[in-house]
Amino acid sequence: MNLLPRRGSLRRQEAAAGWLMTVPAIALLLVFLVAPIAMAAWVSLSNWTGIGSPFASGVSSVGMRNYAALLTEPGLAQQQLGESLRNNLYYVILVVPLQTVLSLGLALAVSRKRLAGRGFFRTAYYFPSITSSVAISIMFLFVFGNAGVVNAVIGYLGAHGPDWFDNPSGVLHLVYSGLGVTQPPAALADHGLLGMPWWEWLAGPSVAMIAIITLAVWTTSGTFMLIFLPAIYAIPAELEEAAIVDGANAWQRLRRVILPMLRPTLFLVLTLGLIGTWQVFDQIYLMSQGNPAGTTLTPAYLSYVESFGNQQWGQGAAISFILFAIIVIFTILQRLMLRDRGAT
Amino acid sequence: MKGRRLTTVMLSAGVLALAAACSSNGGFSSPSSSSTAGAKPNKTPLTLMFGSSGPAETSAVQAAAAAFTKQSGIKVKVIPASNLTQQVAQGFAGNHPPDVFYLDSLTFQNYAKDGVLDPYAPTMPNATGFSPVLKETFSYQGKFICAPKDVSTDALYVNTQDWQQAGLGAPPANWSQLRADAQKLTTHGRTGLVLDNSESGIDMFLYQNGGSVQDRAGNVVLDSQQNVQALAFVKSMLASHIMKFPPQLNAGFSGQAFGENKAAMVITGPWENGTLQSDYPHIKFKVYPLPAGPTGIHATLSFTNCWGVPKDSKNLGGALAFVKYLTAPQQEMKFSTAFGVIPSRAAAQATYMRAYPQYAAFVRELSYAHPDIAIAGATQAISAYSSALAQLGSSDPASILKTAQRNLQAVVNSSK
Amino acid sequence: MSRRTRRLAQRTLLYLVLTGCAVAYIYPFLLSVGTAFKTDPDATAHPLNPVPSHWVLTAFNELGQADFLRWLANSVVVAVLVTAGRLLFDSMAGYALARLRFRGRGAVFSTIIAVMAVPGVVLLIPKFLVLKQLGIYDSYPGLIAPLITDAAGVFIMRQFFMSVHPSIEEAAKIDGAGIFRTYWSVVLPIARPALMTLTILSFQGSWNDFSGILIAHQSPSLDTLTTGVGRLVSGQLGTGLQYPLQLAAAMAMTVPVAAVFFVFQKYIMRTGEGAVKE
Repeated sequence: MNLLPRRGSLRRQEAAAGWLMTVPAIALLLVFLVAPIAMAAWVSLSNWTGIGSPFASGVSSVGMRNYAALLTEPGLAQQQLGESLRNNLYYVILVVPLQTVLSLGLALAVSRKRLAGRGFFRTAYYFPSITSSVAISIMFLFVFGNAGVVNAVIGYLGAHGPDWFDNPSGVLHLVYSGLGVTQPPAALADHGLLGMPWWEWLAGPSVAMIAIITLAVWTTSGTFMLIFLPAIYAIPAELEEAAIVDGANAWQRLRRVILPMLRPTLFLVLTLGLIGTWQVFDQIYLMSQGNPAGTTLTPAYLSYVESFGNQQWGQGAAISFILFAIIVIFTILQRLMLRDRGAT
Repeated sequence: MKGRRLTTVMLSAGVLALAAACSSNGGFSSPSSSSTAGAKPNKTPLTLMFGSSGPAETSAVQAAAAAFTKQSGIKVKVIPASNLTQQVAQGFAGNHPPDVFYLDSLTFQNYAKDGVLDPYAPTMPNATGFSPVLKETFSYQGKFICAPKDVSTDALYVNTQDWQQAGLGAPPANWSQLRADAQKLTTHGRTGLVLDNSESGIDMFLYQNGGSVQDRAGNVVLDSQQNVQALAFVKSMLASHIMKFPPQLNAGFSGQAFGENKAAMVITGPWENGTLQSDYPHIKFKVYPLPAGPTGIHATLSFTNCWGVPKDSKNLGGALAFVKYLTAPQQEMKFSTAFGVIPSRAAAQATYMRAYPQYAAFVRELSYAHPDIAIAGATQAISAYSSALAQLGSSDPASILKTAQRNLQAVVNSSK
Repeated sequence: MSRRTRRLAQRTLLYLVLTGCAVAYIYPFLLSVGTAFKTDPDATAHPLNPVPSHWVLTAFNELGQADFLRWLANSVVVAVLVTAGRLLFDSMAGYALARLRFRGRGAVFSTIIAVMAVPGVVLLIPKFLVLKQLGIYDSYPGLIAPLITDAAGVFIMRQFFMSVHPSIEEAAKIDGAGIFRTYWSVVLPIARPALMTLTILSFQGSWNDFSGILIAHQSPSLDTLTTGVGRLVSGQLGTGLQYPLQLAAAMAMTVPVAAVFFVFQKYIMRTGEGAVKE
């Protein structure tokens, strides 16, 4: 029989165990997350050219010059940052809502208890999620190739598909010219932000980017479907039954019962979506390298090529921090928006 | 007790992180340009990093390294890089750059500016034997830094069967003949002429029209009237569908379009020869010098790598001995035989012309070749220019050149 | 229209939509598998037909000449070790943060939440510097250690333990079992569903990681499937547009992860359904 330890020693034992159990995870976080952030912060303020250590004596601080070159001084650096932000913004604006709606729809459909082939459908929708970005990128290069699947389908329909990965036209520009606006109004052509006229900001995603957006939605909706599923199952059946008794139709049930119950999950999915979509890198590296005409350039890829390709490590790191700031701002904004709607 | 030990663990984790964050200088001293030719080889193994065009090049380089080891007793670790520029950059950032590496002319500018390369080139035996255009490419502020590995020039590849079918005679000597021939060679499913859709696939037209990319002082002169005209000519060819870029033909690069006979003529370099022989052996072709511009100016672009050697190599003497071995005329000929490149030394070039008379055009063109653009820190500006050119068919030549002029000149100004 | 026929119509529509979606999700894979056995001209001439006009193994032969098996082995090593490491570290830390009272717990948890928000892509360059500094750049530890670092996993485990009632462990504690004993033989078995989720996420994440591996090594002998096959796409082997070869590589690298997926499928797909039955 054990003697019960005194209360104080039990406490101390618990504290020791607590630290011991968290130390491995914390140490890794410090070494591979916190230390790199500190290093990158320094590099973004320095003139390090990638030779030797960034803390070597020859490397000196240039203050905010790297940030200035990107944000305030007209030039290629600023213009490319502007382009990459525009491209990624359209990517986020399209991918996040589409993948959220699609995954929620799929989850609601496959959560029905009397659905035949439920397992098959789930597997089918989830399978792309487990496939690596490399394999998916290869598949989509084929699917959207000039003689690829999509263009073959378009050909059957009697139309002629675009050269997807070689077409830099913004889809909104195409819409404007469809409406008869081919020349930008002076106000939009002469003023702008980050070295890009407003007319260019309003170009929309390029045809090439649309292919990559399709890839993203196709790949991630399965993952998010899987996140929605447990939350849907957790909705008490009585709630829905009560709504049915009240005579609510399917749409009303969705709005009044299901969506409010899914709010935390929805929040999670939107947050993960936002964070993920601002970081698109693999697909750009593998499929387009920012082409055609810089319309698939993204901040993450730009940061990589500025550093490893152009040896402008300070600017590369500064782009990383700008990207970081954007992600934080978007996450906060989204949080505020969801909270507001909750209050009304 | 336990609490204290835990604190220690936490502390050491913190110290580890801190050590990572605050590393000391790893031995890269300030830039200097004194030659270190006197360095004696030691037995420290060397690393050689290179970007391979395919299995033929990889095995040829490995064989050369093995032969050198046999001769000198110095071991060489051969690393075929998947992304050469990035991996060499990683090496420099981590204080362990490879001892010998392929260095392209653009990245050369960056490293030369940083002063991390050993300026060994003048000490190589018979250093004057390298082609002048190559010495110019690998000189920084007037100093010849690293030994050119090989050279390629762009030339006109003509599918002889298509040529005969179209009833054509002599190869095009100027732009108007080029246009006429491309016109006649264009059929349903085949395009007369295909160019790569990048600056390195198009810039030769600027030179042929009397234009240029940089002037002697290094200033960018892209927005000249000659250049606008040259691009307008290329654009007009695109507009009449007698010339196309590879993606329009569902090909990755011009050589593939040529191999699949989607193109009757392409402008490309000798790196295609291996692929054409192995993957498309049924295609019969001839290689001619590029046609001259409207005023009779002959020009082409040259592309090259040098053997980069970091000045802080642990076995600098060994690295230089290795480069000496690799740039000896016989070894250069071996590389040419294995994967088609043109030797960098005039002596070996003569041997090459005798051995491969069908490829003599590449060597003949060397006398009027211009190096592909290389400006320190301009990787991004050049790739922006390149992707703008890829859209030449639907954009205004003058504005492409104006933008590129502004961006590239900004890079030049910032490094002055 | 009677209620029954309307319901029938609704159901038919639902199945039509679901099947349409399933085709959109699966057909690209079928096409890719088929195209891997085609010749180059066949691939571009009949992109919609998954059946080759005649079957060739050229693509797979070429793949065999590349270091495919080596890449495969490296991927397995990385994925298995990363998964094991994450399971252990994340569950320990998650448990401690959920259950044990110790000074600094709040700070540790806040730190984890904060670093979760740091986008991984932002850290590519500095992570490389840290690896180099620790002397594990271009080695297996260098590929693996950064991937074991997983704030999200700690968070998932903590949330899980928060949702489980502590009564069972309390019983074990009263029986006199130490904290580690309790953790190992009582807590971990309870945590099975969460551990399963973590296993799948970790395996998939490390198997498919591209950018992290890209900056952690330079020797081709350390290439995993992602960086190895990635080379085929970026044209480094001078391949140009050879759809059969590239798709063969893409499909071959998907087979192992698909196998893991089908083995663990019931755990993945049942998420939550069990919770309602219990």
